[in-house]
Amino acid sequence: MRTRKNLIAKLLISGSLLTLLAASALGIQSASAGEAAGPVEEISPLHPTFALLDENGVNVLESGEPVSTMQTCGQCHDAGFITSHSFHSDLGLSEITAAGETQSGRAWDTGPGFFGKWNPLTYRYLSLAGDERLDLGTPEWLMTYGADIVGGGPAVSNREGRPLSGLAPSRTNPETSLVNETGNLEAWSWSQSGTMEMDCFLCHLPQPNNAARTAAIQAGDFRDASTATLAGSGLVEQTAEGWAWNAEAFGENGELKPEFVTIQDPANENCAQCHEMAHSGSDPLVITEMTWQTATTGQVISSQRISASGMNLADKAAATRSWDVHAERQLNCVDCHFSLNNPVHYTTDPENSPSHLIYDPRRLDFGAYLERPSHNFARGQSAEDTVAPELKGTMRRCESCHDASGHASWLPYLDRHVAVLACETCHIPQLYAPAIQSNDWTVITLDSQANLAYRGIELDDAGVELASTGGAVPPTVTNLVTGYQPVLLQRQNVDGETLLAPYNLVTSFYWVYDDANDNTRPVRLLDLEAAWLENGGYAPEVLSAFDANSDGFLSDSELVLDTPAKQALIADRLQALGLNNVRIAGEVQPYSINHNVTNSDFAVSDCQTCHGKDSRLTQSIQLTDQAPAGVTPQFVKDTNVTISGEIVQDENGGLVYRPVPRNDSVYIFGNSRVNWIDWFGAMAFLGTLVGVGGHGTLRYISSLRKPKREAKVRKVYMYEAYERFWHWLQTFSIVFLLFTGLIIHRPDIFGAFSFRYMVTIHNVLAAILAVNAALSLFWHSVSGEIQQYVPRPRGFFDDAILQARYYIRGIFKHEPHPFQKMRDRKLNPLQQATYFGLLNVLLPLQGITGILMWGVQRWPEISNLFGGLPVLAPIHSLFAWLFGAFIVGHVYLTTTGATPLEGINAMVTGWEEIEEHEEHAGETSGEETQEN
Amino acid sequence: MKNRKNLWIIGLLGILLVIVTPLAVFWPRTAQAADDPWAFVPQHPIHTDHSNIVQGPGEEGQFETPQQVTKACLECHEDSADEVMHTTHWTWESQPFDVPWRDEPVTIGKANQINNFCISAQGNQKSCTSCHVGYGWQETEPYDFTASENVDCLVCHAQAGYFKGSYGNPGEGADLLAAARSVASPTRENCGNCHFDGGGGNGVKHGDLDETLKYPTEQLDVHMGGLDFICTDCHTTEAHAVKGRLVVDNYQINPSEQVACTDCHIETPHDDERINSHTLSVACQTCHIPEFAIKDPTKMTWDWSTAGQDIGDDHYTYLKIKGDFVYENDVIPTYTWFNGNLDYRYLLGDKIDPSQPTMINLPAGNIEDSNAKIFPFKVHVAKQPFDTVNNYLLAPITSGTDGYWTNFDWDQAFQLAVPITGLQYSGQYGFTETWMYWPITHMVQPKENALQCDACHSDNGRFDWQALGYPGDPIEWGGRFDNK
Repeated sequence: MRTRKNLIAKLLISGSLLTLLAASALGIQSASAGEAAGPVEEISPLHPTFALLDENGVNVLESGEPVSTMQTCGQCHDAGFITSHSFHSDLGLSEITAAGETQSGRAWDTGPGFFGKWNPLTYRYLSLAGDERLDLGTPEWLMTYGADIVGGGPAVSNREGRPLSGLAPSRTNPETSLVNETGNLEAWSWSQSGTMEMDCFLCHLPQPNNAARTAAIQAGDFRDASTATLAGSGLVEQTAEGWAWNAEAFGENGELKPEFVTIQDPANENCAQCHEMAHSGSDPLVITEMTWQTATTGQVISSQRISASGMNLADKAAATRSWDVHAERQLNCVDCHFSLNNPVHYTTDPENSPSHLIYDPRRLDFGAYLERPSHNFARGQSAEDTVAPELKGTMRRCESCHDASGHASWLPYLDRHVAVLACETCHIPQLYAPAIQSNDWTVITLDSQANLAYRGIELDDAGVELASTGGAVPPTVTNLVTGYQPVLLQRQNVDGETLLAPYNLVTSFYWVYDDANDNTRPVRLLDLEAAWLENGGYAPEVLSAFDANSDGFLSDSELVLDTPAKQALIADRLQALGLNNVRIAGEVQPYSINHNVTNSDFAVSDCQTCHGKDSRLTQSIQLTDQAPAGVTPQFVKDTNVTISGEIVQDENGGLVYRPVPRNDSVYIFGNSRVNWIDWFGAMAFLGTLVGVGGHGTLRYISSLRKPKREAKVRKVYMYEAYERFWHWLQTFSIVFLLFTGLIIHRPDIFGAFSFRYMVTIHNVLAAILAVNAALSLFWHSVSGEIQQYVPRPRGFFDDAILQARYYIRGIFKHEPHPFQKMRDRKLNPLQQATYFGLLNVLLPLQGITGILMWGVQRWPEISNLFGGLPVLAPIHSLFAWLFGAFIVGHVYLTTTGATPLEGINAMVTGWEEIEEHEEHAGETSGEETQEN
Repeated sequence: MKNRKNLWIIGLLGILLVIVTPLAVFWPRTAQAADDPWAFVPQHPIHTDHSNIVQGPGEEGQFETPQQVTKACLECHEDSADEVMHTTHWTWESQPFDVPWRDEPVTIGKANQINNFCISAQGNQKSCTSCHVGYGWQETEPYDFTASENVDCLVCHAQAGYFKGSYGNPGEGADLLAAARSVASPTRENCGNCHFDGGGGNGVKHGDLDETLKYPTEQLDVHMGGLDFICTDCHTTEAHAVKGRLVVDNYQINPSEQVACTDCHIETPHDDERINSHTLSVACQTCHIPEFAIKDPTKMTWDWSTAGQDIGDDHYTYLKIKGDFVYENDVIPTYTWFNGNLDYRYLLGDKIDPSQPTMINLPAGNIEDSNAKIFPFKVHVAKQPFDTVNNYLLAPITSGTDGYWTNFDWDQAFQLAVPITGLQYSGQYGFTETWMYWPITHMVQPKENALQCDACHSDNGRFDWQALGYPGDPIEWGGRFDNK
């Protein structure tokens, strides 16, 4: 599960370096090999030929200078508009604030974007003016993260918006300085290195050479970055002297020959350079590079069936779904993440257009769009990307294109499900690639990486070797990739809805300190290295403290500050470097999962996935396998998810996040329950059972002791046909309601029954019960029989006591019933009281709570007035228990008639043998009698 | 009182009715239509064991001639020979029908027409009739198609001891008694002996039928491998008439005589509406048989013009008697519109344009034809001889003592054919390219191997949309039934 891997380096540096090495070794061959694997590089069908201009507007063939995209593409496109309408370029530069004033709550963050917001995964910190220690100056920030930076924004302007190239080199200004290899501050001359314009080629060429570009950036040759992107295209070659333009690629007019114009809309592969891995074609998919979203979530964009993967995936043969159904259906990234002023996709915001207007045909014509295409792209509302918040939710979401009504054929309570669950929750049930689980920067590996752990992959026990060699571990064919199930969190949508949606959680631990100016900053990598390492190995003091098995290496499981002593050791070593108040911080970052959607075959459709004991909604997710002692990580603050669960320690010293739906007022049938109600209800039920059992036993014993008194009996037509019909229909309804309700309440105990069918039966029976009750109320009212149910106030209590005394004492002595059962007076006072309560309180309340529960999908606002499911459902359960208890008592009391079965027999046939009391002899009160 | 006492039974029934009726109305239903392909698959009755029934006329019960076997069969199965004699398995020739390019009614069959493999069975009966369901068809004399004793029961029914030799007779060493006693319903092996080896060897002709189907895996053929189907499960048989017509040797085919996936499967069996919408224009085979010749290779080209050289034989590339071949594996089919009929079937004597490939057969259908669907074909390309003066294809005599395979003399091979085919030979011959479309319909893959969207709808998709008549990929340009 755990490994140490230089992911970030892989992510940002070494992957590109390796590719570059291979590219330069193979020369042009690498490009043609790439062509064979990927889509055929086609000549742009529409884009005209154009000249490549340098930053002075001179044709590069003439000047031999690096190409300037702003000049070149700016010949026709409004480059200024494009760069100013692109959060990819801006990276939060325009939203820079003072440190600590961002929503993230981190004291050292200065903005919501990649420029200004620190991320523990990438770790290196963009230092600010006034910081005691320089971690990354702007030049080195660009060198470090350049592979994922398109240029423009902070790559050309400083925080005040002045061109970087105009800044005077200064060792004291973090925007113009860096820490050189000797650890000393060094001034950086932007005018010499040039700055990095927004690189149009990176996204608009079929095969941009990001490896060569990254190498140029890492070397600090920012001016060459765009030129290097063209390496391998035949336009330009790298020579010992620098980049040399190939005159063969240009026509006589100085413009590119048509066959070299391959400008295109961004393809998935372009986006994949920085975001999720994209794969097309029939070659078996193997994850070779963990780009950002793939590393943090395990999402992979491919139309290929997962079963066709070249990786060692658990239960692979059964995974005949595609990695991503939208990729399978030939959607591209830009189909959903379109340019916001693209007339093809543009629609007016209904909130800002006249209410009578459904569609507004007025829009940009294509010429205007092509001149000034907005490079702000429609985006969703991910938890992790906080840049340009005003654009969140501009993307069309699932429900913008898909109609959920298709579920209605099989999914009960569709509206309710849709109201609380994001489509992704069921349609991304599983991620099939590994993703980062935790990232511990309180420790450091020999190659200066965090102790990084993945979820969704079983790594062999070679952790020690991996650690010592610092080998990168992307999933290979030898690792068993198990994938993982994301955790479900409450997402606050831009439109105000709150839906459960899937996330990966990445937990990070790191040291912070207070610098001389009292600024809290993450400990620099340099200082961390100094505290841990000496002469290319661990400092002896550190090694002896951590090397539990004394093998001379620190394995993943040894690399953890799991005791105060170890923490103190490292803290002391950090303090010795002059860092004040060093302490460990921990944070949990949710990463949204919106891709790798699957269709109905693989989506969650089994009710018990959620409605059961091990509900998906309460499923925990491992945060870390090991954690620094005493540190509970905090969820980051700048997300749109509400965290209501709890972080608990597992038995191995790791941490687990456990959702607690109750805290969000979420009640899940089959999973949620209020324990005391079930206990109380069960006690009431069992108590009644025990009570009647005891009473019955005593009656039996007494009947043995004293033979039954021969009372005079006669047969009376006690119950009319309709009464009997009503009664038994009610009996069936209630018994099956209790039974199906119990299954719905505890599906884990009744696995044999289909949850879905039980819900249907329960609802239908409830409706039958209600109609039956209403009709009988009508009948009882019209016939006047209802009076029998109304206790007569006068003498009621005396009579009730009399009746109670009979059940307690008289019945054992075979005394006659205190009140003779008669056609017009079937109920004794106790029965009257019981039925009065049952019919006027219990049944209506049970009905009302049931209807309100059913109504959460029809009129949720009404149900919510009464507290919604978290209140209604437990009450309904409680009343169900009481009904159960009543039935036990009721059935028992029917046995107290002339003979034990006489009462039931009467309710079946209508005729009952009743004891005739002396005082009532001759009273027939309208009875139809049959003398024996 | 009796009635009243039993009233409760009526009441109980009433109560149950009141409960069950609404439940039935509100019972959740699955959206899918009933799809039970198994309902259409024939049951396999256990075949009567004939080992104690069959007795030959010989002293020890043995058979001297195969005709004796047939007669023995006919003692009980009186109508069987007559039934067989009404099938093309026996006649090798269709009923006469009209075609637009001929004035007289024509027939098509191995008996009188050619293909672009071994070209012609006429005059080459010695070996060709090893796949005729009859005995003793000689080149030298007209065959008596009414002689019921010549019907070969064993070739389809014998499970042991039997194989065919020359002129349709049992091979040397065939054990007729053992064969006759082993009879049962035809197995994949019985059918496969001819149909897997058509064109002169394993997998030569079809591309979707070869000997690997005798013991197939699920990955080879989901029906025969995964579900252990036999040929007659789909090619159902009534009175010895086997359902299913070979497209290449027909012209118009009555759909009721043809086997279709929809004989068992519903038209729209997919859970996914988007995929179901394809079934109006795409044949099942197109997605469910992504490649043919997936285990054994099949012959894709055959160049007769290079035959006759002593350059060393190799079964898969060159034979002196046959010329050059190309065998291929895992071939992506050729896709074209197909409505089940042919637009054209080359008839012996039809004029050709030697500068163009000649279509031995051409599937009918186009984008305008709502009955046509995009269907996968193996296209077998040959170079075969034609008469350069008369401009028609020639049917050489290849077997026999003076045939081409003995003397390697084309002229002689064509001359010999004249009295047999009745087609004049000018004495001048050349070689011209011919194409033959073989529908791909067997070796259906498990559903997880079916094509996915990007196989066709992508930059590198396998369809040439414009050649099919679309303005472009229908994902973007709309399908043929869309208003776009």
